[in-house]
Amino acid sequence: MKNNLSEYKNILIKSGKVIDPVRKKEFDSDIFIKEGRISKIDKKIEFENLDIADKNDIFVIDASGFIISPGFVDMHVHLRDPGNEDEEDIKSGISAALKGGITAIACMPNTEPPIDSEHLVKYIIESAAKLDYKIFPIAAMTKKIKGKEITEFGILKRAGAIALSDDGRCVANSRIMYEIMEYARQFKLLLILHEEDYSFSEYGLVHEGYFSSKLGLDGISYLSEDLVVARDIILAKYTGARIHITHVSSKNSVKMIKKAKENDVNITCDVTPHHLFFNDSCLTDFNTNFKVKPPIRSEEDRKAIIAGIKEGVIDAVASDHAPHLETEKNTTFKEASFGAIGLETLFSACYTKLYKQEGIKLPDVISLFTSSPSNILDIESGSLKIGNKADITIFNPDKINKIRKQDFISKSANSPFIGESLFGEVVYTINNGKLVFKND
Amino acid sequence: MLSVKSILNIEDLSLEDIDLVLSNTDSFLEVLGRDLKKVPTLRGKTIINLFFEPSTRTKTSFELAAKRMNADLVNFSAPASSLKKGESIIDTVKTIIAMKVDLIIVRHPDSGAAKFIFIKTNIPVINAGDGKNEHPTQALLDLHTIKKRFKDFKKVKVAIVGDILNSRVARSNIKLFKKVGFDVSVVSPPMLLPENMDYFNVDIKNNIDDVIGEVDVIYMLRMQFERHNRELYPSVREYNEYLSLNMDRVSKMKKESIVMHPGPVNRGIEISEEVMNLSGKGSDRLLINTQVTYGVAVRMALLYLLLGQ
Repeated sequence: MKNNLSEYKNILIKSGKVIDPVRKKEFDSDIFIKEGRISKIDKKIEFENLDIADKNDIFVIDASGFIISPGFVDMHVHLRDPGNEDEEDIKSGISAALKGGITAIACMPNTEPPIDSEHLVKYIIESAAKLDYKIFPIAAMTKKIKGKEITEFGILKRAGAIALSDDGRCVANSRIMYEIMEYARQFKLLLILHEEDYSFSEYGLVHEGYFSSKLGLDGISYLSEDLVVARDIILAKYTGARIHITHVSSKNSVKMIKKAKENDVNITCDVTPHHLFFNDSCLTDFNTNFKVKPPIRSEEDRKAIIAGIKEGVIDAVASDHAPHLETEKNTTFKEASFGAIGLETLFSACYTKLYKQEGIKLPDVISLFTSSPSNILDIESGSLKIGNKADITIFNPDKINKIRKQDFISKSANSPFIGESLFGEVVYTINNGKLVFKND
Repeated sequence: MLSVKSILNIEDLSLEDIDLVLSNTDSFLEVLGRDLKKVPTLRGKTIINLFFEPSTRTKTSFELAAKRMNADLVNFSAPASSLKKGESIIDTVKTIIAMKVDLIIVRHPDSGAAKFIFIKTNIPVINAGDGKNEHPTQALLDLHTIKKRFKDFKKVKVAIVGDILNSRVARSNIKLFKKVGFDVSVVSPPMLLPENMDYFNVDIKNNIDDVIGEVDVIYMLRMQFERHNRELYPSVREYNEYLSLNMDRVSKMKKESIVMHPGPVNRGIEISEEVMNLSGKGSDRLLINTQVTYGVAVRMALLYLLLGQ
């Protein structure tokens, strides 16, 4: 037995149930990983018959009762690196991701300074590579994320930017958004859009509705999102740009995106687990972990999002992992920062809500954070292709965990799921052919 | 005994709690009528008046209430600090815990601040107004004022007029008045109303003339200019046209009906100069000063119920 499990070059996973989100199938099977690559997926793979000289260099995982999935992909993460490494950094973010079964992430550029230049894109990629992990940087669409002047799309793409986004800010000027779309098309760059009309959200703290009225908290109308979603659909139709609306929160947005897809607009979208899970009744205790943007909306909106997933209008689930220090959250609702962490709960929240409660088929649920974001980002992750470096997550579907603040390994613990009981626990994460996380 | 440890909002109070507060208020009104307006009930208790927002009336009212019951009251005024500058609320809270007080009276510009302080300290808290959320002691004193005035207390028709959106008084009063069964309507233009009024379940009117002849209580709210991020309403002239109480409108009111206002009145905005200056019999229906007197008694009752038993 090796001291460090990540030193094993070969891994045999026995007796698990395999989920193939690409072909939307589930079947009982063994998997053999040879020299870090998926070499065989078969009903029965016998240890004795494996063509490995040193049998001591095979780690065997008994996966009976467990489910085997491609490693998860989270396409919306704030790593706070560079600039706010007290909240999270690349290393701590990766640890949290691996605990959550996530083997590839796309990170947002609203760092300090923002990722709007070649060297910062390379900094992210190289830092991740040193830790043997895949981070796909999303670069800013405008310099310093100010929504005024567009960045060097060509150079950023060449440096490795997977997409462009001004996430956290919305390009308010429609003409500039139009120019961004025009130029992005030249480089076939995906635009990931945070939709917010600031004239409707400037002072707002929570969804404007029943509970904002009751509690005297300033509201953010769904119009704030709807108006910009409508604008960008029109612009994308006109320019032919490829757009992805992130963290959709309102029922009208879901409706408009559905229509846009029918009209051949090149559009996809994602939602966060907290928008799937909660409605604005969560606000009555003024718990600042529910202060997020876009705000957690009404039950009607939440149901529309669930329906959007069932109908395939919503393509992916992404955490919008947004770490904040205790001091930024342990205050009044107005003073607190917007954002919630999500890497460590992305899977269990989706599994609990979408599979256990909503009864969506497991391969469909898993595809939302494996094959689907991989397709959107056009990356080689989220599948169990023979010959690929193994990114595999194995989870125990029956384990129920009560989410506790002290259990997070992220540098921040601002999770709205604290206190919730969630099904599904990641037991092993195999990243880039190595067993890097084991839950003991 | 009250069913709550703190007075944070109206929703947490049961009808029994409300009755208990009002019946005790009567006893303390009797004390306030004496020559020697002091009882030893809270001797040895320490109360802190924690005000993050300027206030004269409410702060003084609580101070009088505490002193007339022989409690030691200390004032702690702190500017509402933002995260990056000055003291954060959590450090203020820790200081208060270390001071070992028995009860905290809180006023804060942020909604939910009173609950936040109660959760963090586990010391009884009276919410003296938190942001746009609630001002429950104001609602209780207003209820007492109405109760003393109307024999058939259950059937009272109330209209609350003005800036509902930014008013914690409106939120607490609507909740309390609905709870005790009043017929409540609000008079407010769209920009001064919350987007969604489903929770309150009240009649909504835009013009004071639609209600002035029908209600028993016309409750005028203060325009909360300090809580507006920009000019929300076009002008005082237009306000006077649709929302203010002037002599003409007073003359249309029902015979026994009354006028209330949480104070301080913006003279010439919510209530005209002439109405404010009414004297003699004409002023009988103006209960603004009565509200202040009852305010001290209600707060004495609350301090007694939270600390004295």
